[in-house]
Amino acid sequence: MQIDKDLISRLEHLARLELSESEKDQLRGDLNNILILVEKLQELDTDQVEPLVYINEEVNVWREDEVQGQVDRHSALQNAPQASEEFFIVPKIIDL
Amino acid sequence: MPYDKYETVIGLEIHVQLSTKSKAFCGDDTSFGGSPNTQVSTISLGHPGTLPRINKQQVAYAVRLGLALGSRINLRNTFDRKNYFYADLPKGYQITQDKAPICIGGTVPIRLDSGETKKIRIHHIHMEEDAGKLMHDSNAPVSLIDLNRAGVPLLEIVTEPDLRSAGEVDALMSGMRQLIRYLGISDGNMEQGSMRCDCNVSVRLRGASQLGQRCEIKNLNSMRYARRAIAYETRRQIDILETGGSISQQTLNFDPSSGTTSPLRDKEDAHDYRYFPEPDLPPLVLSESWIQHLQSEMPALPWDLFERFQTQYGLPAYDAELLTAEHTTALFFMDLCRHTQAYKAAANLIINKVLPFANENACTLDAFPIGLPALAEFIQLIEQGQVAAATAYQQLFPAMAEEPDKKPMHLAEALQLIQNSDADELEKWVSAVLEANPEEVSRYQKGKKGLLGFFMGEVMKQSKGKADPKLTTALLKRALDA
Repeated sequence: MQIDKDLISRLEHLARLELSESEKDQLRGDLNNILILVEKLQELDTDQVEPLVYINEEVNVWREDEVQGQVDRHSALQNAPQASEEFFIVPKIIDL
Repeated sequence: MPYDKYETVIGLEIHVQLSTKSKAFCGDDTSFGGSPNTQVSTISLGHPGTLPRINKQQVAYAVRLGLALGSRINLRNTFDRKNYFYADLPKGYQITQDKAPICIGGTVPIRLDSGETKKIRIHHIHMEEDAGKLMHDSNAPVSLIDLNRAGVPLLEIVTEPDLRSAGEVDALMSGMRQLIRYLGISDGNMEQGSMRCDCNVSVRLRGASQLGQRCEIKNLNSMRYARRAIAYETRRQIDILETGGSISQQTLNFDPSSGTTSPLRDKEDAHDYRYFPEPDLPPLVLSESWIQHLQSEMPALPWDLFERFQTQYGLPAYDAELLTAEHTTALFFMDLCRHTQAYKAAANLIINKVLPFANENACTLDAFPIGLPALAEFIQLIEQGQVAAATAYQQLFPAMAEEPDKKPMHLAEALQLIQNSDADELEKWVSAVLEANPEEVSRYQKGKKGLLGFFMGEVMKQSKGKADPKLTTALLKRALDA
């Protein structure tokens, strides 16, 4: 698989990034190199190997159903780029 | 347009908000209606370096629903990230189960208008989290975000495309609402958004085996909207097919003010969610013994009680439906039937008196003022003819509610509601009435049998309403027809 300009634009949109032309060129090269590495790895037969997702073997890290750990509204809103007394504020979203 | 040639095929994705006290992956309060952004934490706000931790109750609730529907419970559960950017989703991804949903398969019976039962197959049920709430400012070019709802646990129930009409969708949604309330896992309140559904709608020629191309109508939060949206969408699709067009797969929005659907997004900019395993949540490995424990705590299911109320208690389907609508009502009926054998009378009493009274006085049946033994005695007084049914309903019942500690028999006596079935005294009233009205007696004897009601009324006046109507009728007839 080759990473072309269209795919870079699509990834740029999905990640909500705005890249300059030179950044796009550089990324295209990097991503193609990563794909070459992955293609190399794919030469190995891994049919019988379960994908490794979790590094440690812990399971069932539960929480009991209790209310705790909330922060107050003032703290919640303080890092927001824009907020009112009660709400986070963002540019208007029309479409869902 | 030949609309009759086509049938509508519908599958649902039902979102149910679980009634846990805290959120799915953090301890924020989930109560509805809190002041904006007061039920949040660094986890639900999506701050870097925070770790989600799953609420055990949420998993128990999911298993409970799966057991009720006869689903296979998946013992090894994992979570995935569904990635998209939207302002009500602070993390930039929703935690969901894409690969390994907790319940697979199962069926839910729905009752059709015809009285028949139809089984709707469940594809799967998975756990996920809700997003926050967006409000649009009509005066300024901004949107306001309340994250109280962000991270509230949801179950998504995905059905097979087994539904054929808006009526069946309605039946499934009501049945599902009833079930989740029986199971105590959600309040099923559509107005507050505790239950909402997306409808996948397609049409095909009747008799065709292939499914047509489907469109998904998003976020229908009331049955009325769902009904209208499905009707509109069915016609829209048939109109396209009949004029030689083809349906393109779309996500649609329903606009209640115009009653129409319109594309939310097209295939070209379809979301690419780039699911991948959620590394922050280790797998859940459920034990058979825990599942069995949850199974042992299951309540009787609404459709089983609906059957049992007809077979075991001999009730008509209509009564059975009313009495099983809410779990507390069904339990109340069964408890009352431990005190009386007159099941139909018990059903009548609950439907006509107990439920309306509880409703008007905003009390729950658990806290109903009149005890079950007293209600059973009330039924017995009517059944044995000691108090006339109408009098009992109108006068004795309110008196019992006033003074729940007194025995109904004593209250009936104090109110002079006990019917007189002393034949001697009745005879005296009867002959007094006949003597006082000779003209009516002769008209009756010439064939004007309708006058029996007049004599009856006169006896009732004499006895101040305490004459046993059955016995009085018999005595009157005997005297008049002699």
